[in-house]
Amino acid sequence: MAFILNNIYKSFGDLEVLRDFSISLEEHRLICILGPSGCGKTTLLNIISGVFPADQGQISGFEEKTISYLFQETRLLDWKTVEENIDFVLKDRLTRSQRIDTVSSYIDMVGLDEFRDYYPEQLSGGMKQRVAIARAFAYPADIILMDEPFKGLDLNLKTGLMQAFIDIWLQDRRSVFFVTHDIDEALLMGEIIYILSPRPAAVKGIIRNAIPHQERNLQNEDIRRIEQDIYKLLTETKLK
Amino acid sequence: MQNSTTKNRLFTLASILMLVLIWKLLAVFWHQELIVPSPELTLVKLWMVINDPDFWPSVGATIGRGLIGFVISCAAGLVMGLAAGFSAPVYWLLKPWVTVIRTIPVMSVIILAIIWFKSDIVPIFVTFLMIFPIIYSNVLAGIKNVDSQLLEMARMYQVKTYRIIFELYLPSILPYLLAGAANAMGITWKVIIAAEILSQPYFAIGTNLMIAKIELETAQVFAWTIIAIIISFIFENLINRLENKLKRRV
Repeated sequence: MAFILNNIYKSFGDLEVLRDFSISLEEHRLICILGPSGCGKTTLLNIISGVFPADQGQISGFEEKTISYLFQETRLLDWKTVEENIDFVLKDRLTRSQRIDTVSSYIDMVGLDEFRDYYPEQLSGGMKQRVAIARAFAYPADIILMDEPFKGLDLNLKTGLMQAFIDIWLQDRRSVFFVTHDIDEALLMGEIIYILSPRPAAVKGIIRNAIPHQERNLQNEDIRRIEQDIYKLLTETKLK
Repeated sequence: MQNSTTKNRLFTLASILMLVLIWKLLAVFWHQELIVPSPELTLVKLWMVINDPDFWPSVGATIGRGLIGFVISCAAGLVMGLAAGFSAPVYWLLKPWVTVIRTIPVMSVIILAIIWFKSDIVPIFVTFLMIFPIIYSNVLAGIKNVDSQLLEMARMYQVKTYRIIFELYLPSILPYLLAGAANAMGITWKVIIAAEILSQPYFAIGTNLMIAKIELETAQVFAWTIIAIIISFIFENLINRLENKLKRRV
């Protein structure tokens, strides 16, 4: 079973963001959607998550799926501790004992067990994003949507967070749709990379990256080759 | 840190001494106790006032009225502010009322209240009209400033509405509510005493001020004013402490 978006149209006033956009996404994959800034990636995620409907087109595969999110901002509640922030999204879905187990195991997984009682203002930016990652995975979701969650972070921090994310993801391989404009992030994270054209977005190409995540790094030759392919696809669109 | 607070306290102390000194100089310059009573005479009168059997009942009655007016206004401001913040029709229905209440001159309210109510109730009613709009508009501002990204997050994670109100809206509004309450507390005592001066309840600081004025006891007017300042100061301190305590927990 796959997630399918068919002939999607979406405009905001005169601005046409998606025109006849179609994409078919496999389940249980870490899917990267790579495209230039402002090409309509966030709009796509918002249509998938139901924040707003498409003007036209069919969507299937998302019925009765629960979705969790990683945003560019950490979006933590300042008045709740690390533990309480994660518990905040679980309270309506799990029993009390389930929540206690889930919260503490995901806090451990992101390496924040000593900080469970800290408030966000006492944590660094990277630690806060780790809490957001724990929250996204702790939520009993079938799909995780990620909207450039590593944007604006320095390379070290970014690599650490991506590693933490991959480690947790490998445990149950949930469906992940990861939107980014950063080729390095796509190379290190994506199993399947969709390359989008500038607005109105269309799929320019699909690249598979079968290299196991543990072996990936930006100096790896196979990764470099994939990078070349992606560049070719991206510059092609730019020349037009 | 310790040093700078001690230093700040010294500045405050110096400033108060300066105030008393200027007062003394003015008293010497005028040399008329009827116009500017000297600090010494005021102190003597203050002692007399405090030892008067009616002192504590008067102070108690004024504080009681102030607190009743303050609590009622805060509760009403919070409830109405929340209602107006969540519902546009309620906001627009309340808007003309709040504008009228906000702009009506204090003296008009007091005079009308004296015509309508018993003298004990007048100060409470007037306080309510003065303070309710402050709390109301602060709560409203708090709701408008709730982080829309947090709200989006809560909705996307399908958190139930009542939990969004209690765990997201209320904590966001709290700093606005407390700032409004601190501001309102200061105004409460001014308004209460002004209303008491005109409505003349049997026990009241305002009534005592008026009696002192009629009897041309200017030193006594000063003495009662000092008492009013002390009350105001104590409650300002209390509310600031409450604010700090809640802020730290939040």
